[in-house]
Amino acid sequence: MSVPDYMQCAEDHQTALVVVQPMGIVPEDQFFRIYKRIASVSQVSIRDSQRVLFIRYRHHYPPENNEWGDFQTHRKVVGLISVTSCTTTKEWPQTSDRFQGQKEVFGSTLYDSRLLVFGLQGEVAEQQRTDVAFYPSYDDCPDVEKRVEDFVESIFIVLESKRLDRATDKSGDKIQLLCAPFEKKDFVGLDTDSRHYKKRCQGRMRKHVGDLCLQAGMLQDALVHYHMAVELLRSVNDFLWLGAALEGLCSASVIFHYPGGTAWKSGARKPGVSSAADAGKRHRPGALTTNGISADTSTEIGRAKNCLSQEDIIEKYKEAISYYGKYKSAGVIELEACIKAVRVLAIQKRAREASECLQNVVYINLGQLSEEEKIQRYSVLSELYELIGFHRKSAFFKRVAAMQCVAPTIPEPGWKACYKLLLETLPGYSLSLDPKDFSKGTHRGWAAVQLRLLHELVYASRRMGNPGLSVRHLSFLLKKEVTQSLENYTSKCPGGMEVISLPDGLKLPPVSFTKLPIVRSVSLLNLPVSLRPHKVKGLLGQGMSSASPFIYSPITMHSRGDERSKKIDFQWVQGDVCEVQLMVYNPMPFELRVENMGLLTSGVDFESLPAALSLPAESGLYPVTLVGVPRTAGNITINGYHTSVFGVSSDCLLEGLVGVKSSGCMVEVVPSLPRLQLCTSLPRSAHLSSEDLSTSVSLRLFNGEMQQLTITLENIGTETLNTLELTSKNLSTKEKLFGEFLTWDLQDALSHLPLKSGQSVSIPVNISAKLDFSGQENLLHDLNDDGISVTGLPVSSPLRQVLKPRAENKPVGSDASKNEFNHVKMLEAVLTFKYSGGAGQVEGYSRELSLGVRVDVEPSVFFTRVSTLPATSTRQCHLLLDVFNSTEHELTLSAKNNQDLVLHASECQRYTHTHTQTPPSLKAISQSQRTSLLLRNELFVEGVLNQLILEHLQLAPLQWDVVVNGKPCDCDVIADCRVGDAVPLEVKLTNRSKSAVGPFSLTVVPFQDYQNGVQNYDLQDAVSFIGSNTFYISTVKPTENSVCVGALLFLYTGDFYLNIKFQDDSTARDLPPAWFCLPSVHVKAQEPVEL
Amino acid sequence: MAVCIAVIAKENCPLYIRSVPTQGELKFHYTVHTSLDVVEEKISGVGKALADQRELYLGLLYPTEDYKVYGYVTNSKVKFVIVVDSSNTSLRDNEIRSMFRKLHNSFTDVMCNPFYNPGDPIQSKAFDSIVSTMMVQAC
Repeated sequence: MSVPDYMQCAEDHQTALVVVQPMGIVPEDQFFRIYKRIASVSQVSIRDSQRVLFIRYRHHYPPENNEWGDFQTHRKVVGLISVTSCTTTKEWPQTSDRFQGQKEVFGSTLYDSRLLVFGLQGEVAEQQRTDVAFYPSYDDCPDVEKRVEDFVESIFIVLESKRLDRATDKSGDKIQLLCAPFEKKDFVGLDTDSRHYKKRCQGRMRKHVGDLCLQAGMLQDALVHYHMAVELLRSVNDFLWLGAALEGLCSASVIFHYPGGTAWKSGARKPGVSSAADAGKRHRPGALTTNGISADTSTEIGRAKNCLSQEDIIEKYKEAISYYGKYKSAGVIELEACIKAVRVLAIQKRAREASECLQNVVYINLGQLSEEEKIQRYSVLSELYELIGFHRKSAFFKRVAAMQCVAPTIPEPGWKACYKLLLETLPGYSLSLDPKDFSKGTHRGWAAVQLRLLHELVYASRRMGNPGLSVRHLSFLLKKEVTQSLENYTSKCPGGMEVISLPDGLKLPPVSFTKLPIVRSVSLLNLPVSLRPHKVKGLLGQGMSSASPFIYSPITMHSRGDERSKKIDFQWVQGDVCEVQLMVYNPMPFELRVENMGLLTSGVDFESLPAALSLPAESGLYPVTLVGVPRTAGNITINGYHTSVFGVSSDCLLEGLVGVKSSGCMVEVVPSLPRLQLCTSLPRSAHLSSEDLSTSVSLRLFNGEMQQLTITLENIGTETLNTLELTSKNLSTKEKLFGEFLTWDLQDALSHLPLKSGQSVSIPVNISAKLDFSGQENLLHDLNDDGISVTGLPVSSPLRQVLKPRAENKPVGSDASKNEFNHVKMLEAVLTFKYSGGAGQVEGYSRELSLGVRVDVEPSVFFTRVSTLPATSTRQCHLLLDVFNSTEHELTLSAKNNQDLVLHASECQRYTHTHTQTPPSLKAISQSQRTSLLLRNELFVEGVLNQLILEHLQLAPLQWDVVVNGKPCDCDVIADCRVGDAVPLEVKLTNRSKSAVGPFSLTVVPFQDYQNGVQNYDLQDAVSFIGSNTFYISTVKPTENSVCVGALLFLYTGDFYLNIKFQDDSTARDLPPAWFCLPSVHVKAQEPVEL
Repeated sequence: MAVCIAVIAKENCPLYIRSVPTQGELKFHYTVHTSLDVVEEKISGVGKALADQRELYLGLLYPTEDYKVYGYVTNSKVKFVIVVDSSNTSLRDNEIRSMFRKLHNSFTDVMCNPFYNPGDPIQSKAFDSIVSTMMVQAC
């Protein structure tokens, strides 16, 4: 016997084998339909006894296996059912003959046989024959089952008679020696009369009877017979049969212990053997209970003490197997016994012992096996390992079986079978073809083994002629490791995203290359500043107020943190290109070409504009911007992206990706708005530092220069522009700005509205820079250098003015000072165009376009120094202004009083202005003839005259007027008088201060100046006072005045001076001395005119 | 000495596997992988109550034609598998035990490394050298 039945299990020992065979030409499907119906009669209760006969059906049984029928009766073919087609009566005899011939194949063992004839009608079919049944067609055979049952019963009768025959055969004289096929020649010429021989015969016969009892459903009898057989055979060392007897004992015990059967796993494959489902219906005479295993076997052991315990079954099996092992020719028996033992062990959940048994199976050498048998063997091994829960081992053998399918020695490799088997190994290697599981981490580990398996899958699927599958697997492989051959296949068969279904129902989910490239972060980008929609403020408040009654609440912040699909606080605009930035990197050691990369969105019609990129090998993070245009308004959600790598399209959903940072994927799309494009007459420049601007221009102007900027706005969108507003904002500057920086007239532009698509409008904007460059610190410093004590001495006091020699040689034009004065000042302003139109305007959105204007203002003409000189009058002083032309052009400076001053480049000149007591409102206008451009600038004295200087320039609040001889006197005025005439002297004090002053006392001292440094105060005899020379002025209230009147009498002619001295008074000490500067009086006394 | 030494994580993925000769690596992968069945069976076979004082050394997992596979499971269910040549009969059970103990100590050192991430493949040089001492010198 060379063909092992890998499906054997212990219960098979109690079955009777019936072969069902087609005869002649029978359509296969028809035959198997009949076969199935026949096979459904797997157990038949015998009418008058309580016993049940179990039948095992085979449609193919090698006759050499039949030869082992004596050794184990369940291997014996006891029944034959032939199925044949016969259409005409003529064929009938021939059919009948062939049936006879078929019977002869198993002739020696057959108990009974049946012939089922289909298609024959007529008188032949009329005849009643027990062994032949006629049916008109395959569809019309209602009583097949009935026939088979009758047939089984007839088998049972024969079986029972044989059993009784053998069992009661107590004669003992001549017991036939039963032999296994290979033993036959061994016993030739053996002494048949020896006790040893007799015992051997007896033992073998006992065992045989035991088999028969078991088949006939007498479990208890069988056990008894087996026990006796074991004893007999053990004594004569007949190991093969001892093994068989032990195995029989085990089988009987197994049947007793496990009425549910041990072959539950392969039940579906063996239609002949009743499955576990009908185990409850089985009636076993040996078992107490008819349904299921009784957990406590001890109760039954009393009744069936011959039955082996569960522990013993294994022991006996092992023993039996070891005995079988002694015979090389009994390899198949050993193998089958092993398998049966494993099944029992599996039920007993003794996996380790089972695995040892199976290990043994591997080593059983069955001689030359055909490739098919090898495959079968490995598959069965794998199945058995699966049964005992050794999934890895099972996978290993399955893989071996798969490889065996396509072994090079096989002329026609079965790639399909190989592929199928390989697929079955996947769970064993904890591989899942579903990429969803991939990210869960189930793919950790055993990379080398898994890789190998995937490679084999790829190869098998390719050889199967299914490149689509191959691509799918390769894609999967690529997710784990690197392979480049994918591209070659995809050119023939693009890898899609649809699920590939295999014929056997297995579905291969699409493999997405979520790791090629790896996406690290996804961020939706706001529109450029100029295109962002702005909601009208009134409408904005509604959304906020409904969210929470609190202006700020930390609770809402927490809940927002984990919300992935949170809405982003900016908007996109329908019809405008929107961007999403992905940070990607290529983990592969080769350059990765990603094509057709686009966005997957939902919520809004979105036109994705795919991008193609090429990532260098093992690149770092690499930003990729995916763009698209929303076609409708609403909320849009970015779900993922799609790529095409190596020709395989993948859809990668963000939720399935691990480690992707996202700041939210939902954004609102507002209805479309017009778009304006701005261009200016000036060249563009770099953006201003602080603000987000769409464009900016920069220019350089001299201080005071004015330039016109023409801004052209073109509507490049599709919507009509309806409103336009223009505002400007000066960015923070410390400089004091004189006048408007930017001026414009929008009226002309507004008259062009509404602006249709493609139209443009231009707006002139005047830029003028008027800054003060003079008020710089070094200026004040210069003042100090000039020795003018800013704190102490009065600048405006002409009398006390002491000027140190000015450092005229100061190198004004030198580099040092040039740098000092060449401070370029910067002016920045933002022009904001606010416009709206189209559907967006209805929703309350508008857009802003901002233009940054940056002007670098260069100094043109400015004052470098200021100083004062006393004028002749106390009411006036000279204001000295040093004007510096820092430009490289010649300038003409013209003041109010039409005094023109020509200033050459980098030249400094002094400009003198007589400063009157009027408030300083002096303006100097400079004009330069620079090429054709006229530079108009107004130089402001205000900037020069800082507060301190101004204080000194202002008049003292106490105004003293001295009137001599009715004529007001000042420094330069000479009063004439006659000798001998009384000269009235009037000193008038007008209080312009805010508080009352006084009282004061004044003393008039006359003196003569000889102009040589000598002053003669001894004039008692030359000048005489009429009245007192001392005046007393009582308190003078604000805005009031007080007049002191005295008189002088000059006795001689000459030039006299009157010095009015202020008498120091403690009460007036807090007043500044400058307030008490009275003009000195020059009186010229002449000879009286002779009348 | 051993021809293959493997460390397998609790989740049954390999942390470390090394074998000589290197060209037969895949074969050892298969051997070790399938031996996990037996290891698991042995672990689950021991009753829960005995789990605490369970013997870490599992003994011979299974013999194949050419190799013997020995197993060892730490209390944290990390498995060590040592494959030795069947022809090497001089190797005693005690020696195998001591090999496992050495391996375990070295593995503990690896785990103590604060930069080692449990579950990552072992790349420690120290561990590697310990393993090397236990391996058959490749010819």
